[in-house]
Amino acid sequence: MSEHTIHTPILQLTDVRKEYGSDGITTEVLHGISLTMEQGEFTALIGPSGSGKSTLLNIIGLLEQPTGGSLLMQGRETGTMPEEELTRLRGKSIGFVFQFHHLIPAFTALENVMLPLMLEEGRLTPEQRERAVWLLTRVGLADRVDFKPGKLSGGQQQRVAIARALAVNPPLVLADEPTGNLDTAAADGIFKLLYEINRESGTTFLIVTHDPRLAKRCSRVVELVDGRVVS
Amino acid sequence: MHRRRWLLQLILRALAHRKGRTLLLLAVLAMASSLATALGIVSSSMGKRVAEEVRKYGANLIVIPESARLDVGSGGLNFGVVSEPAYLPQRQVEDALNKSGLKVERSFHLRGAMHWKDSDLMVEGVNFADIRRLFPWWQLKGRWPAAGETVVGSDLATRLKLKPGDTLELDGKAQTLRLRISGIVSSGGEEDGLLFLALPELQQALGLDGQLTLVRLMVTAGKDSLKKNAAELQLLLPSAKVNEVRQTARTSEGLLAKVKLLMIMVTAVVLVSAGSSVAGTMSTTVLERGKEIGLMKAMGGTRWEVMLIFCGEAAMLGVLGGVAGYLFGSVIAQFITRTVFSASAEFIPWFSGISLGVSLFLALLGSVGPMIAVFKLDPVRSLRGE
Repeated sequence: MSEHTIHTPILQLTDVRKEYGSDGITTEVLHGISLTMEQGEFTALIGPSGSGKSTLLNIIGLLEQPTGGSLLMQGRETGTMPEEELTRLRGKSIGFVFQFHHLIPAFTALENVMLPLMLEEGRLTPEQRERAVWLLTRVGLADRVDFKPGKLSGGQQQRVAIARALAVNPPLVLADEPTGNLDTAAADGIFKLLYEINRESGTTFLIVTHDPRLAKRCSRVVELVDGRVVS
Repeated sequence: MHRRRWLLQLILRALAHRKGRTLLLLAVLAMASSLATALGIVSSSMGKRVAEEVRKYGANLIVIPESARLDVGSGGLNFGVVSEPAYLPQRQVEDALNKSGLKVERSFHLRGAMHWKDSDLMVEGVNFADIRRLFPWWQLKGRWPAAGETVVGSDLATRLKLKPGDTLELDGKAQTLRLRISGIVSSGGEEDGLLFLALPELQQALGLDGQLTLVRLMVTAGKDSLKKNAAELQLLLPSAKVNEVRQTARTSEGLLAKVKLLMIMVTAVVLVSAGSSVAGTMSTTVLERGKEIGLMKAMGGTRWEVMLIFCGEAAMLGVLGGVAGYLFGSVIAQFITRTVFSASAEFIPWFSGISLGVSLFLALLGSVGPMIAVFKLDPVRSLRGE
């Protein structure tokens, strides 16, 4: 392994700014965010509503471009990348877990997990299919592989979404309030699962949460207030 | 699993998941393409059907000899034109018709005068079998004549007090004929003042073997217009004059053109309505599936890839709608031709291509707006549900 690979952070944000608005009236939502995440971190991103958490998550997820500053993903500057390249990098490097899971209702659990593999690779090998089944087994849904989302509970759907986020084995998983729509028991189960996966695979997690109880269980907490990192 | 198979599966699942909307789109596309197919099939076979209908109105071309013309007058004084009797050689006409390759039914006529008692009668030699086929509206009291018999026009019969069973002795230039009247004929035209007998008998009596004064033709409509058919025949008969029977020919062609135009306009209106309906339904689908699209983009699907999925859905619907439209359209065409023309429509396999084309065109055209929306869709906003 080269020295360069060892010391390259998964994510490096330097003085990232984001403004919204038009016709000369702009509002700055993020005021110079600098943040570095190393491989294997299990980080909680907390902050009150309107603090800029979702905007920051979207920028880190390469879904939005910052107005200023730089974002390095595994050492690669993303600010100058054309959109198609950004999309490819996103597909390969970042897994998403959303609050409302966003599973495709027409697909089974297994097909939903295989979706990023197909989008990324353009084809599916038997090994990849095995991995998708293994991921569903890992999240406790071995007996629900061929179930469509409509036949699964909220917690089970979120587990499918977690398996899907891990399908391409990305170095970074972004979870936007993954337990926000679940009862306490299910939320604990999901959080525990994420933590276990982080320990097992060394995947870096950045989890947006409002739940201080869950945030305390993370190895690192980043607090955002009014578009600034305060801790 | 390969990309193409996966894409197909994705499209089929998405369509199956929204059965109601898929069926609605399919119904709209099938309806539009079936109408285009039905009107197309009816239109393409209508020329033949209208020609069959027009047959009931008799000949549509006539051939007469180009008579010897003589201008009478001097200097600025003109007394008009006189013409000598002229004839068409029957053999020459038959050869020309065979060479022309036209689908034609013919009736040969020789008209002349024969002397009866103290007056001259206008007589016409015809083939009665041809007359019965080409002029079905002629009404006959009595029966059609056999050899040595004649039929008399109703006006002439009234004027001369002739009736079936009477015998006439007619003097011609070459022969005298003794004919028995077998029937009185009425056509409602100038024929009612004539006396009809078999063509060879009159040719011999007048000493005009193989000569004709008039040929009536019924040309079956083909790809070319009647005017063009007449021009072609004219070239083969330089010593004759080939004329359209204008009221019949022009009416049938004009009617055909108008009905075809009407069909094209109806089809255009239906296609525009169907296109709008497809566009509306596809737009609703895109709005509903915004999160799905955003998700695919977030997971690494490029704008083109995601658009390809929607394009594939539209194309799949277009193909299915086209196939259904062709089958349904053929049934409609059968129904129309049976009801209107009392005949069965032709089965035209290549119209399946038109049906598919119409359906695909509508599906893709109606999807252009929604496709642009898919292309531009911001995954962040769509995942937020905005």
